[in-house]
Amino acid sequence: MLRLGRQTLTAVDGISFDMRPGEVLALVGESGCGKTKTAEALMGLIPPALGAVRAKRIDLAGRNLATLAEPALRRIRGREISMVFQEPLTALDPVFRVGRQLAAVFRRHRRLGRAEAREASIDMLRLVGIADAGRVLERYPHELSGGMRQRVIIAMAMACRPRVLIADEPTTALDVTTQAQVLEQLTTLARDFGTAILLITHDLGIVAQYADRALVMRRGRIVEDTLVGALFREPGHPYSAELLRATVVVALPPEAGAASGDMAGTR
Amino acid sequence: MTAQTKHAMDGDGGASLLSIRSLVVRYGDPAAPRPGVTAVRGVSLDIEPGRIHALVGESGSGKTSLARAVLRLLPVESGELLFRGQDLLRMSGRQLRQARRSIQAVFQDPQASLSPRRSVLQTLREPLDHFGLGRSAERADRAVAALEAVGLDTSLQHRHPHELSGGQRQRVALARALVSNPDLIIADEPLSSLDVSVQAHIIDLIRELKETRGLAFLFVSHDLSVVRRLADTVSVMYLGQLLESAPAAALFAHPAHPYTRALLASVPVPDPDHPPPIALGGEPPSALTPPPGCVFHMRCPDRFEPCASQAPSETFPHGKDANQRVRCHLWKT
Repeated sequence: MLRLGRQTLTAVDGISFDMRPGEVLALVGESGCGKTKTAEALMGLIPPALGAVRAKRIDLAGRNLATLAEPALRRIRGREISMVFQEPLTALDPVFRVGRQLAAVFRRHRRLGRAEAREASIDMLRLVGIADAGRVLERYPHELSGGMRQRVIIAMAMACRPRVLIADEPTTALDVTTQAQVLEQLTTLARDFGTAILLITHDLGIVAQYADRALVMRRGRIVEDTLVGALFREPGHPYSAELLRATVVVALPPEAGAASGDMAGTR
Repeated sequence: MTAQTKHAMDGDGGASLLSIRSLVVRYGDPAAPRPGVTAVRGVSLDIEPGRIHALVGESGSGKTSLARAVLRLLPVESGELLFRGQDLLRMSGRQLRQARRSIQAVFQDPQASLSPRRSVLQTLREPLDHFGLGRSAERADRAVAALEAVGLDTSLQHRHPHELSGGQRQRVALARALVSNPDLIIADEPLSSLDVSVQAHIIDLIRELKETRGLAFLFVSHDLSVVRRLADTVSVMYLGQLLESAPAAALFAHPAHPYTRALLASVPVPDPDHPPPIALGGEPPSALTPPPGCVFHMRCPDRFEPCASQAPSETFPHGKDANQRVRCHLWKT
């Protein structure tokens, strides 16, 4: 429930769902349907002044996050449940080098020393596909491309091999070729670590290609909870069907390489 | 026939509304010790009246620089911008002002491009006052008519931008562009700041404006599904160059340039049985130090021996009539 002046708004209304280790669970719906508020509520990021979260249980490996006090939550956030946001520039502190920000995760949650934290940071950056990790650590966020920044954010979020990663439109700000790289690396890493991903997106292409299961959300409620294959074959809710109809397919035609015309060179 | 209209009829400028010829845009002072970035390197393209010409490419490809240069918001190093045969770059202040009545702009973020202190009506009247269009008494009526043309309720005329939704704001920005009755709208990512459901409505509106008013658009976008729904012609930019340009149907059915194919292949298809997107390796090189040869060769899956050393020239893989042009060594002249 959110407070807006004197009015209140129920942004997320009595939703329940489960996540399994290593699975990619997509949370789909249009803007304003409550996707991001769901994520913020799970992370305990809705300040009491702004709204109230009432949840019977938010169960993470046997502990109920809904009843935990802030200090206990702080030990869990970033270690057992972490989050990647849409805009990587605002998620990084502009005044510190990337290396210091990434190392801080290891120092805080894994109590590593300075040198060990740097080693761990380099390893982590390599896992998200950054080859010259040593150089990237010396950079400030503004010196990196959008794709590079989002990889750094993913490295920070995955540093402690969390049980759950919430990724809120993680590639919406990226170019389409970079999006394919970043999603591939993110989902591969999560599978290796056994991390479950809650992948928030409005893009049904991303759902079809990267998710195992999908929750379709509309006006604060989950209207469908289903396997991805089933969602696309026979959507179980009229709203899901409507979303599917509204998508436009852009794809490389299978015969594109062999289009008629004179092609030079050897292929 | 005047010399100018004759010029417009000549050559492949044909019936173009706007012909961009060998446009070069460079940032920075050429006399400065460090050379600037050349954002647009010799791009030529034509915009036909009443057609939507989409310009696609990744960030840093130079598409926004090109759009801004056409609006003369950026200095042009060399080239020609022929609007109805007259070069916008050689116009006097008075002529340019007249041309600007016919070439209007819509930008990405209406929150930034609309004055927060003006009501919708004031915003829509300003172009009419500026260009001296219509009698003063009529201008409010014309402004309200523009509001109706973009599907907004006339009761919104006294609102200020912060009292409108994002979609309404972008409709006001479109109305402001329409009010001077232009022939061409330069639209730079006009849908990117909007929700998907709102995008669909604005796409319909742009189509309708094209049909009913014969408006032409230079539509800059990174979103291929939006381009697929709107464009008549698509040009693909990479590192300041045009790598492929073709009628939209041809480009999506048989993309000729490996970069165009890579762009299409990287879009996730909303069908779980479809093969996954193919990620293009690496990132675009810096525009400060463009590679020799083909600008795309470092990431190209199809590169062969001439690519790293010789810049490919433009060819027509399906014959000149097909109007698909591509800058790639794979295609013979």
